[in-house]
Amino acid sequence: MALLGYDLFLARKSLRRNPGLTLLVVVGIALGIAVSTTFAAVRHAFQTDPIPEKSSMLHSVRLDSWDPAAPHPDRVGVPPQVTYRDMVEIMKSKIPVRQSGMFKTNLYVFPADKAQNPFEEMARVCYRDFFAMFGAPFAYGGTWDEKADGGEPVVVLSEPMNQKLFGGVNSVGKTVRLRDRDFKVVGVLAKWMPNLRFYDLTQNYIGEPENLYIPFGLLRPMELQLAGNNDGWGPNTGTGFEGYLASESTWIQMWVELPNAQAVAAYKSFLDAYATEQKKIGRFQRPLNNKVTPLLEYMADREVTPRAVKSLFAVSLLFLAVCAVNLIGLLLGKFLARSGETSVRRALGASRKDVFLQHLVECQLVSAVGGVVGVLLALGALSGINAWLKSQTGRGDLFALDLPMLLVALALTAGAGLVSGLYPAWRACQLAPAVHLRIG
Amino acid sequence: MLKMTGIRKVYRTDLVETHALDDVTLDVKAGEFVAVMGRSGSGKTTFLNVAGLLDTFDGGTYTLDGMDVSRLSDATMSRTRNEKIGFIFQSFNLIPDLDVFDNVDLPLRYRRMTAKERKERILSAVEKVGLSSRLHHLPSQLSGGQQQRVAIARVLAGDPRLILADEPTGNLDTLMAREVMELLLKINEQGATIVMVTHTPECAARAQRAIHLLDGRVVDGDSHFGHLRSVPTGALAAAI
Ligand SMILES: Nc1ncnc2c1ncn2[C@@H]1O[C@H](COP(=O)(O)OP(=O)(O)OP(=O)(O)O)[C@@H](O)[C@H]1O
Ligand SMILES: [Mg+2]
Repeated sequence: MALLGYDLFLARKSLRRNPGLTLLVVVGIALGIAVSTTFAAVRHAFQTDPIPEKSSMLHSVRLDSWDPAAPHPDRVGVPPQVTYRDMVEIMKSKIPVRQSGMFKTNLYVFPADKAQNPFEEMARVCYRDFFAMFGAPFAYGGTWDEKADGGEPVVVLSEPMNQKLFGGVNSVGKTVRLRDRDFKVVGVLAKWMPNLRFYDLTQNYIGEPENLYIPFGLLRPMELQLAGNNDGWGPNTGTGFEGYLASESTWIQMWVELPNAQAVAAYKSFLDAYATEQKKIGRFQRPLNNKVTPLLEYMADREVTPRAVKSLFAVSLLFLAVCAVNLIGLLLGKFLARSGETSVRRALGASRKDVFLQHLVECQLVSAVGGVVGVLLALGALSGINAWLKSQTGRGDLFALDLPMLLVALALTAGAGLVSGLYPAWRACQLAPAVHLRIG
Repeated sequence: MLKMTGIRKVYRTDLVETHALDDVTLDVKAGEFVAVMGRSGSGKTTFLNVAGLLDTFDGGTYTLDGMDVSRLSDATMSRTRNEKIGFIFQSFNLIPDLDVFDNVDLPLRYRRMTAKERKERILSAVEKVGLSSRLHHLPSQLSGGQQQRVAIARVLAGDPRLILADEPTGNLDTLMAREVMELLLKINEQGATIVMVTHTPECAARAQRAIHLLDGRVVDGDSHFGHLRSVPTGALAAAI
């Protein structure tokens, strides 16, 4: 590597000598890097662990309470959500250190400031453990107390909602009217923007977290209407809201925090015992198939990364490879065209290795330039995709080139440089010194 | 310095086998200035290529500066070329888009010298060939004679023990050829061994002795310029 400086000097000269060809190579690499980096970043956004410090402890709970006649159509054959009556029962377990069933609902918000118009807003209906479980940070106050879980009108606001309703000041203790009653603010979240709404992967999980959080116990008194997926089977035996709650409809996401493998095993047997108990009263007629799945595994189960994204990423790598392979011929032609010069270098003391590295450095330099251009193009492409996504979901910052993605771009660039350069450089270093020095 | 015994070099193509060197035995002592003569195709360039470790050979032994060089790795061979041998070619073989300074720099780079030492050597070598004022000219901006002097500076900067020159004056007019010959003689006086292929008896006459090749064989290992002067190369070869 003692010659790296010299090799870079020669590479710069060589690239300038042939600007047209250099441009062609740079454009080739740049396109390949732009496309592959863009899709790598898109894929990355879906695959990043949203809460690395405890993703292994957070478990989604799925119960196979489904129709004995046919398995649930979901990939794993179990409904992704649980029924209300099952949630109520399994929430009685003391094994999880934290747990919450939850769903989302639409509520009208009536700002205290009469100058503001009422507006409809998505609220998450959950238990007090939600915030600590999923790492939602508080700016003011905190979660509601245990008693409030039973159905007191208290609310936790998101940072943007507190901004909107109270101008961002500490609003703990103030009230806000939701639908038909006054809610007391007990907590205000700090800025919280996980990549995905990973705590509810059943629907529209690309998007910002909800702006309102209220206790689950309000379900009955307010007859809160589900704004998410409802997936059921069998006849609705009861009538009205209570009939709905007693039905086999699955519509609640159930999460538990289990600190270790023993807790997981214990909780699993608890669920199986519960299901076996239910069999006696004619429910759970399918074979036991209850699932306690850690977050990342659950994300894979749910196929959180859209298939299109996966295949586009694969295709983009292929595209980069094609770009790199196409450059082999160009570089080979270029290197062989100056075989005279190379033979002189060999005669005057450059070893094969020196010549090989000299040419490889040239390939890496040109591909580095292409890589930089490619990354800039990828930034443009990602901001385009973000803008489109914002128009679709309201979330405009999902895709970004963070450090890991820049490292990926760097690796892809070096890889492209190697793929396009190894063979030409090898051919160049095989040039015999004598042949090209032959004169007349 | 350069001792060959029974060196053979065969070029094989589909149709013919050319014995470019056939049992070449010779001994060039350190500090000698030897001319190599012979008509076109007689194997002179092949001989220089083998002597300069630019090409392999098919038989015989070759000792360069006390070192058996028949089976060296590419890295050792390259280093030996770089440190012990200087090449001067008929067509100069300067790198067209490097200026005088960078051309002279070339062998020093592969010797991994410090920038300071390289610069000192380059400036002094360029001065010796009288081109200090042309340091940043490109080869295309120099006359043929000047280009060959740059090539000689490139050799001088490396300070090799052995200089191999293949018709160094072949592309130059008489005046420039004379300048180049004077330079080579001076370098030889300062201790370098020189082996020079030439077609011109005048040049050969400046050497201490001449070796004649004919069809890859040494036909007159030790002729003194006195004999040569009166006998044209071709005629001599024909006579033997
Ligand atoms: N690469 C090669 N392949 C096949 N034959 C070769 C090769 N190089 C040289 N030869 C043959 O070897 C013989 C010696 O060639 P060489 O170039 O050494 O002659 P030369 O004495 O230098 O001639 P000139 O005075 O014209 O330069 C010639 O017959 C030539 O055709
Ligand atoms: Mg020749």
